[in-house]
Amino acid sequence: MGWLAAVYDWLDERAAIRSLVRKGLYEAVPVRGAWFYTLGSATLVLILLQLVTGIFLTLLYVPSVTEAWASLNYLKQHDAFGSIVRGIHLWSAYILLFVIGLHMVRTFFSGSYKRPRELNWVTGVGLFVLVLGMAITGAFLPWDQAAYWTAVVVTNIPAYTPFIGSFIRALWRGGDFVGPITLSRTFGIHVWLIPAILFPLIGAHLALLRKHGEFGSYINYRGAYRSREGVDVPPPPAQRPIEPPYPAVPTDELWAAPLETEDFFPFQTFKDGLVSIALVIVVFLLAVAIGAPLEAMADPSTTTYTPVPEWFFLPLDELLLLVPQQLIPLVLVLPTGGVLLLLALPFIDRGPERNPFERPAVMVPGAFAVLFVVILTLLGSGRLFNL
Amino acid sequence: MARREPRRLSRRQFAFLGTQAVGAVVTVLLGIPIVGFILSPLFHRQQVLWRQVGDISGVPDRQPTKFVVSFPQDEWTAANEDLAVYVVKINSDYLIFSNVCTHMQCPVRWQADLGQFLCPCHGGLYDITGKNVGGPPPKPLPQYVHRIDGTTLFIQNSFTESL
Repeated sequence: MGWLAAVYDWLDERAAIRSLVRKGLYEAVPVRGAWFYTLGSATLVLILLQLVTGIFLTLLYVPSVTEAWASLNYLKQHDAFGSIVRGIHLWSAYILLFVIGLHMVRTFFSGSYKRPRELNWVTGVGLFVLVLGMAITGAFLPWDQAAYWTAVVVTNIPAYTPFIGSFIRALWRGGDFVGPITLSRTFGIHVWLIPAILFPLIGAHLALLRKHGEFGSYINYRGAYRSREGVDVPPPPAQRPIEPPYPAVPTDELWAAPLETEDFFPFQTFKDGLVSIALVIVVFLLAVAIGAPLEAMADPSTTTYTPVPEWFFLPLDELLLLVPQQLIPLVLVLPTGGVLLLLALPFIDRGPERNPFERPAVMVPGAFAVLFVVILTLLGSGRLFNL
Repeated sequence: MARREPRRLSRRQFAFLGTQAVGAVVTVLLGIPIVGFILSPLFHRQQVLWRQVGDISGVPDRQPTKFVVSFPQDEWTAANEDLAVYVVKINSDYLIFSNVCTHMQCPVRWQADLGQFLCPCHGGLYDITGKNVGGPPPKPLPQYVHRIDGTTLFIQNSFTESL
């Protein structure tokens, strides 16, 4: 152990790793509800799974209309391990979309986006949108029938933007119709453009988390609003501090701190690890048992193929079906408006109240929005899969 | 000794502005070619090509019949792209449709039982003359620019109306 400590000292003198490790690992985290706080780390683990499998998939995949399908078909026919890698890439993407959504709902519910954590929320919304972008661009790449018609429909949606619609469509497609440039561009967006923004944004999201500490949720503070004399009387909401300064180091005052905290490492990391390993095992089993499908090669001349959207695209697809021809731009307005509202949320809901049951002005519209998306998804899946 | 007039631009201000100028120059030098590169396909005129579809004398009256034609996909790929052509004969007139739905460009098919063209994605319907008669499609089914020499149909890789 002596030499290990010596190496650590050597590195610390030159790279200050001791303070880095301390910052990364030691933080007071609320105890109650801590299982809900594993969703963020699970999101991170799934994104890293995407990164690793994605990097290795580029060692084989060819982003060309003549070879994309063929390269993946070769993988399917001749490379069992490669097929598992592709399966992990697909299934961890699917589960990632679920988990990042739950992470967002959890944050919304607990009001953790309030001052001073507005930017944690804003970067989180950015990450959510970028992950959706990854899912949609990734769906183009196999260039089988499913991928091709997804590409056609998805790149056609921006065409309904007023005035500049067909310009945006041509910009993405690299022409009026889906073709070789569409695939090249979408591949570049998927492997370079979005990740180049996504990963720095994850860094910012985590740095902000460390800066402000984990808020936890309302239950962590019930009865925790004590006066400086130690009288345990909760003040009315208006008088509660906007930001409960709970202790980062044990010597801090306990005023308005979570009732109970524990160290991030190893207690929270253990919970995080358990949830993540469970998800990774589920992903691995799905990758081996089901794998990633590959339909017949893209065929623009088909008159028998019925395009079925990816499940995460179902709400929008159902909207495409329901919206009458005069109102098609609604299909753009609703998601864009939704994202803008999410970005604006911490600047609209600014009161100190964190209790979800005392924030009906936010919780009720939020619940309706989630319900709307769920109903559209159910309608879409019922229509397409005869459920 | 008279004090010098204070310089209007201090050394610090000069360096500050100089740094900004360097950033601006790099942004412009990189930005112009990159933006031009991204936009260039928009200014690329599609080659007008004609291809023979085939003999259409056997197409029955009021029974849309599908043909498949290959067009080169793009400048750099040697591969062709197959396009579907629906030939509709009404009395002695011919209508030459593509299978591209005007709603979201899904592949439209002729449903003989309905007597209509159906888009399987969002249920768009077109009658036998291509008129959008149901569901979300905002425009009629696109028609190819075409010519008929005797009984042989030729089409161009473009529609009579842009989508």
